[in-house]
Amino acid sequence: MLAAHKLDSPERLRAHLAQGREVQEMRADGQGGWHWQNLAAGDGLPFEPPPRPPLTSAKPLFFAEREALFRFDGGTFYGCLPEIEPKVLFGVSACDLRALAYQDQFFAQDEHYQRRRRQTLLVGYDCGHSCAGGFCTAVGGSPLVNQTQADLILRRNGHGGWTLLVASQAGAEAIAALALPQAPEDWTAERDADLAQVRAEQGAQAEITAGIAAIQAASVEPERWEALGLRCLGCSGCTSVCPTCSCYAPLEQREEGGALLHERVWDSCLYTGFQKEASSHNPAATAGQRVQRFWYHKFGTAFAERFGAYGCVGCGRCDVVCPGSIGAHGVMTRISRP
Amino acid sequence: MIDSTPRPMILEDAYADGEDARHFQLRLVDPQATDLAAQPGQFFMLAVPGHGEAPFTYVRAPDAEGRFSALVRRTGQLTEALFELQIGSVLGYRGPLGRGWPHDLTGRHVLVIAGGCGLAPLAGLIDAARDNAARLQVIYGARHPGAQVLARERARWRLDLDYLETCDVASPGERSGSPVAHLDELLGQNIPDAVLCCGPEPLMLASAEHCLKRGVPAVHIWLSLERRMHCGAGLCGHCHIGASYACVDGPTYNYEQYLALTRAAGLYSTAQAIRHC
Repeated sequence: MLAAHKLDSPERLRAHLAQGREVQEMRADGQGGWHWQNLAAGDGLPFEPPPRPPLTSAKPLFFAEREALFRFDGGTFYGCLPEIEPKVLFGVSACDLRALAYQDQFFAQDEHYQRRRRQTLLVGYDCGHSCAGGFCTAVGGSPLVNQTQADLILRRNGHGGWTLLVASQAGAEAIAALALPQAPEDWTAERDADLAQVRAEQGAQAEITAGIAAIQAASVEPERWEALGLRCLGCSGCTSVCPTCSCYAPLEQREEGGALLHERVWDSCLYTGFQKEASSHNPAATAGQRVQRFWYHKFGTAFAERFGAYGCVGCGRCDVVCPGSIGAHGVMTRISRP
Repeated sequence: MIDSTPRPMILEDAYADGEDARHFQLRLVDPQATDLAAQPGQFFMLAVPGHGEAPFTYVRAPDAEGRFSALVRRTGQLTEALFELQIGSVLGYRGPLGRGWPHDLTGRHVLVIAGGCGLAPLAGLIDAARDNAARLQVIYGARHPGAQVLARERARWRLDLDYLETCDVASPGERSGSPVAHLDELLGQNIPDAVLCCGPEPLMLASAEHCLKRGVPAVHIWLSLERRMHCGAGLCGHCHIGASYACVDGPTYNYEQYLALTRAAGLYSTAQAIRHC
């Protein structure tokens, strides 16, 4: 059972956690966008989580969009590793935390990723309502933060205040000095009610369930994937915003002074040349083959078994950004039709 | 944790060894025990500073001094740059990586089918199997005589191995056509215990199907699959084959694994795809 505390304000918690840590929180840019911001010391703005998953998930904070792997000075290769200060991510939704747990497994042996991960305290946020387009409950997820995927969990309670759940030893140690009072015992019932509410709002999502079944049965015909491929512009929008996508490519360039810097940059399996070899042989030469690969990676049985979860957390970002309307709902609807 | 930083190696020598191909003699500056344990069919990432990294297989695995060899065909900007380097140049090395050929060939009847540069990852295996296999048969196909690689190794094998060569466009009087067309003649009534195949993917698949029909179980037919690779650690995503990554789960797969991976993923060939475009 989680320890639960009554919290007078999330801002007070945030200010406390900021002692000795950099704090990052989603903030609106006034133009419809939301971004992770480093909060200045003494920042007292109200905690206002975004109403739906912003296009930027927590992914780039751990799996950097571009970073150096090694340098070569003409005779020796030198590894490059990031130096990371302690930080707290404040107010991460359950879907993004689930994606982070997926990435934690995938990058378990990647020191660049793990250095950032080890230094970060995760403060999750329970969603009381479904976001527009969200389908977390249809892909094995929940609007409620999984206690194994965060250190602290913030939630609005039914009394107009806040409840703070302690999900890890690091979380308990981080708030010990606040000496928060115990929360009323109805928080478990309130969480159950939130889950029921979101399930009802998201509905059956029958096309998602049927699409997953079709992918797992490998019963979608090539012509259907190729028809979907006609809608793919290879823009990498879906792979960039997807919180579980993790492909990267090397990039090498000469620095001032003559040394060579070898970096990795985000890549996309939807790009034409993603698998193209120097010989010009391309095992995924058509857009349909690449679209098929993307969705097999998200819902294929072998991947789901390896990670204990789908590679899709139901955030709906791909539906928002895809110019060809082949985000999750667009694809799953088309492949589940008889 | 994965170490993505190459170790230095020296380009010691190189000689022309087939059309647009060179055989490079390389030396690791500081060989490790893991280098000496490299198995035929495994590969390493070769870094040409300023041009990135690419995977190549060992023709001869590293010895105690760190010396090994690799066959490289000029096909892209990295190999173009490699061919221009001076002897003594410093290159980068990460390896050994991936899974090599199966080890349990002692006392077995082994059939090796190679096509083009696909002979390179089989060279070390051929030299090992000639000593411990009960019977070793090798057939090597190339587009034409000038495209044949590993001339010195082949000259040696011709002397004391059950070894055949064939070319798509052969010299007059020489054997011609795909290696698959000669398998019945090569094998007679025998069924090999293990088939190891490397070359263009259509050749490997045709060879596998032929051997399957002759009664070789799919788990005893091995293919070495070429895929674009960058990280060698199963992370960058480029070398996917269904739910596997060739850089860590391969590049050698037995045919049963290959069929299971492609069926589960619903993979279809580009030829199938183009019919629907």
